[in-house]
Amino acid sequence: MHTRRSAILAGAAFCAAPLVLAQGTTPFRFALTPVFLDNDAAVISALRAALGEAMGREIELVQRRTYQEITGALLDGSVDAAWTCGYPYLQHRDQLSLLGVPVWRGAPLYQSYLIVAADDGATSLADLKSGAHAFSDPDSNSGYLVTASDLARMGTTPDNFFSRSIFTYGHRNVVRAVAGGLTRSGSVDGYVWEVLNSVEPGLTARTRVISRSEDLGFPPFVARTDRMAEAGVAACSKALQGLVQSNTGRDVLRLLFLDAVVSADPALFDGIALRMAALAGG
Amino acid sequence: MIVMRRFRNLPVTLRVPLITAALMIVLALVASQSVLGALDRVQDARLSETARLHVEGLSVALGPSVLRQDVWEVYDILDRARLASDGQRLLLTVVADERGRVLAATDPHRAPVGVEAAAFGDGAVAPEAVRMTGDPVLRVTSPLQYQGRTIGGIVTELDVTDLLAERRQVTLWLLFGNALATGVLAFGGWLAVARILRPVGAQVQAMDASGGAPRPIPHAEIPHGDPGLARLIETYNQMTTAVEERAEAERRLADRERFVSLGRLSSALAHEVNNPLGGLLNAADTIRTYADRPDVVRQSAELMQRGLGHLRDVTRAMLDQNRLDRAGQPLRPEDFEDLRLLFEPEALSRNLALAWEVGAGAAALASQPAAPVRQITLNLLLNAGAAAGKDGQVGLRVSNGGDRLSIAVSNTGSAMGEADLKRLLASGPLPPGGGVGLRLVHDIVSGLGGSLHHDRAEGRTVIRVDLPATGPDHA
Repeated sequence: MHTRRSAILAGAAFCAAPLVLAQGTTPFRFALTPVFLDNDAAVISALRAALGEAMGREIELVQRRTYQEITGALLDGSVDAAWTCGYPYLQHRDQLSLLGVPVWRGAPLYQSYLIVAADDGATSLADLKSGAHAFSDPDSNSGYLVTASDLARMGTTPDNFFSRSIFTYGHRNVVRAVAGGLTRSGSVDGYVWEVLNSVEPGLTARTRVISRSEDLGFPPFVARTDRMAEAGVAACSKALQGLVQSNTGRDVLRLLFLDAVVSADPALFDGIALRMAALAGG
Repeated sequence: MIVMRRFRNLPVTLRVPLITAALMIVLALVASQSVLGALDRVQDARLSETARLHVEGLSVALGPSVLRQDVWEVYDILDRARLASDGQRLLLTVVADERGRVLAATDPHRAPVGVEAAAFGDGAVAPEAVRMTGDPVLRVTSPLQYQGRTIGGIVTELDVTDLLAERRQVTLWLLFGNALATGVLAFGGWLAVARILRPVGAQVQAMDASGGAPRPIPHAEIPHGDPGLARLIETYNQMTTAVEERAEAERRLADRERFVSLGRLSSALAHEVNNPLGGLLNAADTIRTYADRPDVVRQSAELMQRGLGHLRDVTRAMLDQNRLDRAGQPLRPEDFEDLRLLFEPEALSRNLALAWEVGAGAAALASQPAAPVRQITLNLLLNAGAAAGKDGQVGLRVSNGGDRLSIAVSNTGSAMGEADLKRLLASGPLPPGGGVGLRLVHDIVSGLGGSLHHDRAEGRTVIRVDLPATGPDHA
């Protein structure tokens, strides 16, 4: 079975060779943000190798600091596809389409965590009033929207509720800010915190999770809707969803602590949409 | 003061190495100070360079973030810089904004965002001025420049515990090394100096050896390699010979003095011998003329016997005064009778009134040697007689009290001159002129362990000799 699939893939690669050469001048540009895991060289090179192998063309991984930059690049066509967050996806729902959603611990879902220093006595968001707070990105669902919408439901805003709120542009940075004492609390991606808990237990041990949000749609891979029919974008979607089938793909998934990438219905992000509504309504 | 005096009392062979060691210690201290000074300069330069690079590097990296008041970016840069430096030297770095409030610090617990940064700048100096002060934590401050304007400030706490430890270790090694070197060199110096000064030590020993009778140093022990020392020892050897010769001369002089004092008595003694001679010749003539008259012969014979007896006594006294075999004999009351016999003609010739009182008993006298006491007394009597002049008074009073014998000789003549007193009472060199009789008295009394006292009151000069009892009874 394995051998047969390898033979098919080898054959496909052989047939696609002229196409690879023809398209070699314009690599497929795939955008990432360090919001997930800090620019881990191993993850990046493995992802590039896996996608390149699966798509049969050179991949250029583009890194940007914020979701806003990624979304901008995606919309103006400077990148072909991106791994972004459910919140910016929904913000541009009319222009963006899903290429796939990662599956983590058996489901394409994750939570937002509210964390404090390990020795902090707070037990809920209400206890964090007048303390400094670390968000990850103003366009992050888990790193901003969840807490901001909770505050909106409480009838307040981050600026009014916290003495100071800062954006660290990275979930790991939120953990660092809370662990180092720069802020009292932080809003962090539950998936990132859990991964860090495995790979950097010394860092997460200095923090404590005081509340977890409901399950929300995992940050998806997206592309512009009007380009979904393009061969490159379609190949990317196929490559992402086929990661679990190749060794290099499984390497990437293993490095990212993910099970697979699957196709998903936009309804997966209804929970985020509800929070967006709460924020807008507040 | 006492230490200095004790030091001065130390033998030269110990003093010189001690001075060498002291100089070595001073040298070691100066050298150590210089090494530590150099170390200080190196450490200061190192520290200053570390601080300057740190602050300059941070200034470049932090500029845009501080301008934007981006707390996270500032913290992130500081945190990564701290991790990169292993946190070994940089304890805390605080970045303040334009208003002097903390924007971020490597340890937000110590310097929370938004508090006054001034408290962290206490005692802080510019990076190029940072110096080791002995404090394990030093603070450096620098304004944060960006695009030509000051947008905030940086305060950094530097941990210099390792540099202090290094300095302490160097100090200890220097101390240990210098102590060892000083010890070795001082010991070497002591050996060398002791070797160099050995002839001097030998000379000191030779001088001290036989209590005031210096002994010459054998020719083999003279260090011919050192002309100065060789000359010193040769001079010393010559001096010892001179001292011996002088002592010999004094001994001879003392012997002669006995004859001299008799010589001074000779004319009186000649009278003493001559006077009975006339009577004796008359008696002999009478016997020859009246050989047939037994009563006259008997009377003349008795007369001759008395005269001859007197002559015998005088000659015996003279002989006793000079007999060497009497040396070591104890003093007896008869010795004073002899002295009276010898002195009386002198007293008669000057018409002196003689007050003679020997109060000490035979037992007290026996604790003294006869010859020196006789010599002392005769000399003092002769001087008193000469001083008393015509028709004067001379007195002798011998008494014993406690554990001593006192012989006081007085006269009514004029007071003693300063030169005579010096001869009698002082030990210094003899003043020029005059005889040696008084000095001989002084020397003999000293030799017997006694003391001389001079008193002048109511026109009377009294010289008293106190002699401690050293005879067989008191030995």
